[in-house]
Amino acid sequence: MSGGSRARAVAASPAARAPEGDVLAARLRQRVASQFGRSLHIRTLDTGSCAVCEQEIRLLAAPHYDLHRLGFFFTPAPRHADLLLVTGPMIRAFDVAARKTYEAMPGPKLVVATGACALGGVYPADAFVYGAVGEILPVDVWIPGCPPSPLALLQGLLVAVDRLAEKVSGLTFTAGGDAEPPAREAER
Amino acid sequence: MPLWFARGLRRGIVTTRYPARPDRSAAGLPTPPAFRAGVIDRRLADRLVAVCPSRALHRDGGVLVFDVGRCTACGRCQEAAPWAVTPSGEFELAGTSPAQFVKQIGLVQEVGQ
Repeated sequence: MSGGSRARAVAASPAARAPEGDVLAARLRQRVASQFGRSLHIRTLDTGSCAVCEQEIRLLAAPHYDLHRLGFFFTPAPRHADLLLVTGPMIRAFDVAARKTYEAMPGPKLVVATGACALGGVYPADAFVYGAVGEILPVDVWIPGCPPSPLALLQGLLVAVDRLAEKVSGLTFTAGGDAEPPAREAER
Repeated sequence: MPLWFARGLRRGIVTTRYPARPDRSAAGLPTPPAFRAGVIDRRLADRLVAVCPSRALHRDGGVLVFDVGRCTACGRCQEAAPWAVTPSGEFELAGTSPAQFVKQIGLVQEVGQ
């Protein structure tokens, strides 16, 4: 609910265009975030990843990262989950299972796409994969990385529950300074 | 642990703030590239696009478009042009919309273009 696709959909619908609708939606989002903020149950869903994302997710429960101190817990049942942590490029054979998992979760619910595959990086859409989790599920937060480190995952989960602000939109990925290219390169 | 437990009992909140301190393990992580502005021309940009295995880069006229979400931080572009591409050091990259990941990098205009 942290300004993701669902929030945009709410803002775009005619009923919510009135100011009181916006205020109500904002208050609802805030309330959901505060409810989720210190007790969130996570269901992981592997839609064809290479399992390295799963290794990093498993490390979250290790003493060094210890996600339980932040109030996050893993749950084996989608019925008990508030957040769906999806990895992999969403293989076509898995779309029914993914939809069923999402529908089995009680609302309000969050979907977090995890890893470069889930964000559309590694596998283009073809006969076997959709190529991105967003093709099937309404994603709220995207976590890049191949794999995302446990620290990146923690930051993503905290962004999902509005405990941290996202910072990627402020980054330019340009380095300052003008290094001279090597002479051999300049001639080419 | 005992301190944390006692504080939790006192305040009624058992969770902690994040991050409590910078994590030392963060220094060794592979991170997406940062592109040195003022060095990359169209020819070099096309070479970087060609070496990217995950379709994170493409060139749109005089702009190199970098999709951070697709980047796997494999380091091939850094290997291809170490004077122009360096590790950015940023790894906490979660975003709330796909548009936040698309970065535009201006290219050097060559003479006669």
